[in-house]
Amino acid sequence: MAGVSFNKAYLERLLRFKIDDKKLAFEITKMGIELKGINEDYIEVDITPNRPDLLDAVGFARSVRHFMHKAKPINYSLNAEDADMLIDVGAGVKKVRPFIAGLVAKGVSLDDSSLEALLNFTDKLSETYGRKRSKLAIGIHNLNALKPPILYDTFGDEAFVPLEYKEEMKYSRLIEIDSRGRDYKYTIKGAIAKGMFPVLKDAGGVLALIPIINSERTKISESTKNLFIDITGTNKYIVEKIADMLACMFIDMDGDVKKVAVRYDEGIVKTPVMAEKNLSIDLIKIEEQIGIAIGFNNVISLANKMGYNAKLIGKKINFSLPKYRLDIISEQDVIEDMAIAYGYEYIREMPLYASQPGSLEADTNVDRLVSRLLVGLGFTEEANSYLVNEEQNFTKMRLSVPKKDEYIRILDSKTHNITMLRTWLLTSLMKNLAISAQDSMPQKIFEADLSFVINNGKAEERRGVAGAWADPKANFNDMKAIVYALLKGIGIPDFETREFSHNSFIDGRCAAIFHKKKRIGFFGEIHPEVLYNFGIEESTFAFELDL
Amino acid sequence: MHAYETSVLKALKEKRNSTFEELLSDSGISKDAAMWALESLSANGMVDISRSTSNVISLTAEGDEYALKNLPEMQLLIMLKKKNIAVRDLGKKEMIGFQWAKKKGFADIYGGIISLTSSGKKVDEDKYEEFIALKSIKSGMYDVSSDIIDELVKRGLVAIKKSSAIGSISITEKGMHAKVEMGNGEIDVVTRGIIKNREWEGRHFKKYDVGLDVEQVYPARFHPLKEIISGLKDAYASLGFSEISGKIIEPSFWVHDALMIPQDHPARDVQDTFYLETPSKLQIGNDAIVNRVGEEHEAAWHGIWSREVSGQALLRTHMTSVTARFLYGMEKIKAAELPIKAFSVGRVFRNETVDYRHLADFYQSDGIIVGDKLTLANLFDVLSKLFGQMGFKVRFMPTYFPFVEPGVEIQAYYKERDEWLEIGGAGILRHEIIRAAGKKTTALAWGIGVDRIALMRNSKIKSVAELYNNGIGWIRRL
Repeated sequence: MAGVSFNKAYLERLLRFKIDDKKLAFEITKMGIELKGINEDYIEVDITPNRPDLLDAVGFARSVRHFMHKAKPINYSLNAEDADMLIDVGAGVKKVRPFIAGLVAKGVSLDDSSLEALLNFTDKLSETYGRKRSKLAIGIHNLNALKPPILYDTFGDEAFVPLEYKEEMKYSRLIEIDSRGRDYKYTIKGAIAKGMFPVLKDAGGVLALIPIINSERTKISESTKNLFIDITGTNKYIVEKIADMLACMFIDMDGDVKKVAVRYDEGIVKTPVMAEKNLSIDLIKIEEQIGIAIGFNNVISLANKMGYNAKLIGKKINFSLPKYRLDIISEQDVIEDMAIAYGYEYIREMPLYASQPGSLEADTNVDRLVSRLLVGLGFTEEANSYLVNEEQNFTKMRLSVPKKDEYIRILDSKTHNITMLRTWLLTSLMKNLAISAQDSMPQKIFEADLSFVINNGKAEERRGVAGAWADPKANFNDMKAIVYALLKGIGIPDFETREFSHNSFIDGRCAAIFHKKKRIGFFGEIHPEVLYNFGIEESTFAFELDL
Repeated sequence: MHAYETSVLKALKEKRNSTFEELLSDSGISKDAAMWALESLSANGMVDISRSTSNVISLTAEGDEYALKNLPEMQLLIMLKKKNIAVRDLGKKEMIGFQWAKKKGFADIYGGIISLTSSGKKVDEDKYEEFIALKSIKSGMYDVSSDIIDELVKRGLVAIKKSSAIGSISITEKGMHAKVEMGNGEIDVVTRGIIKNREWEGRHFKKYDVGLDVEQVYPARFHPLKEIISGLKDAYASLGFSEISGKIIEPSFWVHDALMIPQDHPARDVQDTFYLETPSKLQIGNDAIVNRVGEEHEAAWHGIWSREVSGQALLRTHMTSVTARFLYGMEKIKAAELPIKAFSVGRVFRNETVDYRHLADFYQSDGIIVGDKLTLANLFDVLSKLFGQMGFKVRFMPTYFPFVEPGVEIQAYYKERDEWLEIGGAGILRHEIIRAAGKKTTALAWGIGVDRIALMRNSKIKSVAELYNNGIGWIRRL
């Protein structure tokens, strides 16, 4: 999800009709756009990642107009005449950022709000859909200040005057001192390591250090009428589709959009490509997948509502796919749009008949039995995080920290005290007792859940149950009686108790439970040092069993 | 004669000799009650008690403090060794110290100024007899002279308790002949004897003050979150769903690739997902499936896919990995068994900065129905029934998830706030996924935030983090 805010006055101008906040919120919610906030000046919405075209006020207004039947979709196309412009792609960028698309938009009338919106949009798009400019980035230039031909290639360290700077500066310095340099240099680190930089140049010099910053020379302002746009990235299809999307936007802004030739080794591509794409779908298929009856009379109007030009050909609907959309992979995507156009709230629930009975997993039934027994024995259930750290899981429990490949370690946690998955349950219960120290005694708690170990090099998820009993009046035998009652209750009457040595317990006050020659658990009196480490002030008895 | 005494005498009349434990069991009265009754009967010469007694010496709270810090006169001595002190500067405790120091001849006062005497100057505070005595007592050794003990007892630093244990009890002739009172005495405790012998007849029961305060007790209980999960599982089962489960530690493939989540999707970033250091890679297993999934990715996401990335080990970020394994692992579907309904509930993980509102692990539940020609209308029906079972009214809004199309946001009505809140996501699984799984059918799928349900079901729970706080006091008072 990407949050984006639009200037309301500008949006209203683009919508070309007046709409009150409530009505707007109502309509966009039905479109599947979440309203985050609205005030006198701005509207803030959450755009889902499949619809980058809605990050733009122009595209957003276009879709609202379609949805509210204020406008019929148009078939976006370009005038036959191309811009007289060639971008040559050099061999240097192949391994860094191989693809580029360009477009020219003439006669665009910018003002404060549309310029702000345009810059916000291209920034947001490069940040979200462009994955922080690694996959895609966009540059906007003043066409009149630009001298073709254009070259896109890597160059050694050179100096130019970057946007908003007064003096020349070398690429290598810029990527260190400018915030955009620092933020985005990671996208070209392969080239930087070799002392090279991907650069866009024209006959007058540097146009942009890609994908970081443009030159001051081709800076745009409210008075700029003619624009040149470059789109660079790592995926050819996406770079070129974004050029189509931008072309539709400039056409909506009354611009005259022209194609630019891009010359690769393999040949020339003219962008924006603006290829026509159609999908033909049986009406009955649409109706069957949604579970509604639309009828031939309504289907074209519903298609229009979602921005499709559509024609009825026999029993099929021929959908012309909008050129600003990147997310339509198959007919299923079109069918979703038809469901949205129809309105989810009008879809009547249809029961599904199935005769199979439901069932629960064996583990669930064991968990339920164990929990019922322990609650019956006076223990209260806990539900703890599986995420812990070495200090809690080992050190505070008087255990030495094993080698790093002997338990499950997490990479790069945002929370510093999360480093691993717990290897046993008791450590969580000790933490529970620690934060309950102020509460009245006795405290009896248990948890029946998972812990995680590495066994013979393989990660293992173990089901178990642990209980702890903090009580100055309880003793070893009281706990033993509980463990025995639990074991018998879960159907293990034939167990054996043997003396056991475990560093978390007092020596000589700990026992292991054996069943069919296998150790299935242990219990005893917790060592006072463990209690001290956790800040527990009463003697505590505990057990842990495999389930 | 009190009812306790009666009970004890009756028990002894049958046996004549008894241990204390036997007596408790025979008379059916409590330990305290029996002690009291025996003391009283013994004083009246009706029973003989043989006891073993011993003195138990222990420190008082004050004594305990001095065993650590030394006695107040020594504390003062240490100060005086540095400089003389004006009496008006002494605190209450220091004043006690001065009184004892003066008594022992260690310090004296001239013109309001306290200073050490010559014998005081020679004292080694660590070897001060009383201090050593306190330390010995604290460590459980009693080899302390009785003079010192007497002094310490007088100073209120040490307490001597007589501990006596009852050895055996026998009834005297007087006891044997004592008339065990029946009839009019008030009954306090209803003993076993009273019941067996109908001794309540013609007697009154002692009345209790029913208005007295009592100490609060708490029931042991299930964790509120686990209770919600249990209810959710039952709701699913009642609608004909079978429970499935899966692993928490998975290769990225089952959490992302198998669900058509593109490999450059932000949800796969280390910013959002817990990748593992150990183990760092996991086997996916089925090569045919991996290849088919790879092909679907390359077609749908314009060439972006790598097998290497799909093997990274991580903690599942949603329960849909369980659903994916189920779908891909399903045997050849028999038409007669369709539709197949399954659900899972379990812990999922996000690499969040943990605070009172954000958690790094929480519960989710996923559901799936596999069957031919399933519709969005079917999905809405099933979800309405499922949430209806749990007492929620739900509605559906369009939204986007990478693995379903159409995508649905499930919103539930929250009465307390008169608001519709997002409670889950749903949709029809992408055909690419069904195809990669080698099936020709449709599937409805959804995921539900269990914690949100818990919050909406119990208005006493204020935040998600509270659910995992787990202080016993919180659960007790819920």
